Amino acid sequence: KVYLFNVKDSCRVQSSGLKGTVPSQAPPIIFAVPTKVVSETGSVAHYMGINKVPELQMIFQKTDGAPVHLKRGVMDKMLYRTMMGLTIGGTLYCLMALYIVAQPRKPQ
Amino acid sequence: MAHQAHAYHMVDPSPWPLTGAIAALLMTSGLAIWFHFHSTMLMTLGLVLTLLTMYQWWRDIIREGTFQGHHTPPVQKGLRYGMILFITSEVFFFLGFFWAFYHSSLAPTPELGGCWPPTGIIPLDPFEVPLLNTAVLLASGVTVTWAHHSIMEGERKQTIQSLALTILLGFYFTALQAMEYYEAPFTIADGVYGSTFFVATGFHGLHVIIGSTFLAVCLLRQIQYHFTSEHHFGFEAAAWYWHFVDVVWLFLYVSIYWWGS
Repeated sequence: KVYLFNVKDSCRVQSSGLKGTVPSQAPPIIFAVPTKVVSETGSVAHYMGINKVPELQMIFQKTDGAPVHLKRGVMDKMLYRTMMGLTIGGTLYCLMALYIVAQPRKPQ
Repeated sequence: MAHQAHAYHMVDPSPWPLTGAIAALLMTSGLAIWFHFHSTMLMTLGLVLTLLTMYQWWRDIIREGTFQGHHTPPVQKGLRYGMILFITSEVFFFLGFFWAFYHSSLAPTPELGGCWPPTGIIPLDPFEVPLLNTAVLLASGVTVTWAHHSIMEGERKQTIQSLALTILLGFYFTALQAMEYYEAPFTIADGVYGSTFFVATGFHGLHVIIGSTFLAVCLLRQIQYHFTSEHHFGFEAAAWYWHFVDVVWLFLYVSIYWWGS
């Protein structure tokens, strides 16, 4: 076997890890609630947030007949109405602007 | 509600193709109005509508696939073909700019001094920042592959870390290129050298930004548990696009930066 350093020597060196500083037995828990062991949290550890996909799947599969772009209710409706407002308003503005600039300039 | 007797996806009626088309109309007319009448209102409105359309259209695709389960294997196959065809069209887009570059550089006209680089042009040293950029993009290709393998093996933390690293490398590339652009001894107006250089590398840079954004969206989706180890096409599409961007850079580097100096 090949080691990166002499195993015997590492016992004497502080920088070889936690060997000298961490007690071999966990200290008795006095105040805190015992931290949950990972195996007790369920099969998936919660790194950066919990899984909300099943909940969202329930929302989006509701048989309320709403199309997918309106499925989430009020927020979707507001955004849609804003968009259509801007779209229609923008179209009219654009057509007007093009009509105006298409007029021949007055002779000087 | 009637259940479909087939595996394909009959999409709900959607307003986004219309808003997207109107947005394109407003952007292009707005561009003309800006050029001739100095008003940016129409163009800005077009840009806002384009961004909102993209956000909502792709949000709806995520809803249809991840939350409603419409992306069955045949549907996914269609999405794969679609992405491949799109990337192919982008390859042809860049081919045009490479054609322009080689047209001008293989037979430099007397007006340029009969040589390439043309007389008076000080090209960038290909073994300085451009070489670093090459290393950065190649490294990002490695990290995105690492991310893919992590997804397939169900390693959530590693996926998030490697994907984040890929995006950071993409930003690093963009920052380095921006600095190069600022410090370059020639401009886009410096004859055909300037035009071919900045148009080709400029469009490439835009694609790096698009690719980084796509990967960032994938990172957000990965954090929100959208991807499974078997089904993560959104990520694969982003990774394909990223590899495409990387390959285009390699061609740019060898042709314009190295051979062209």
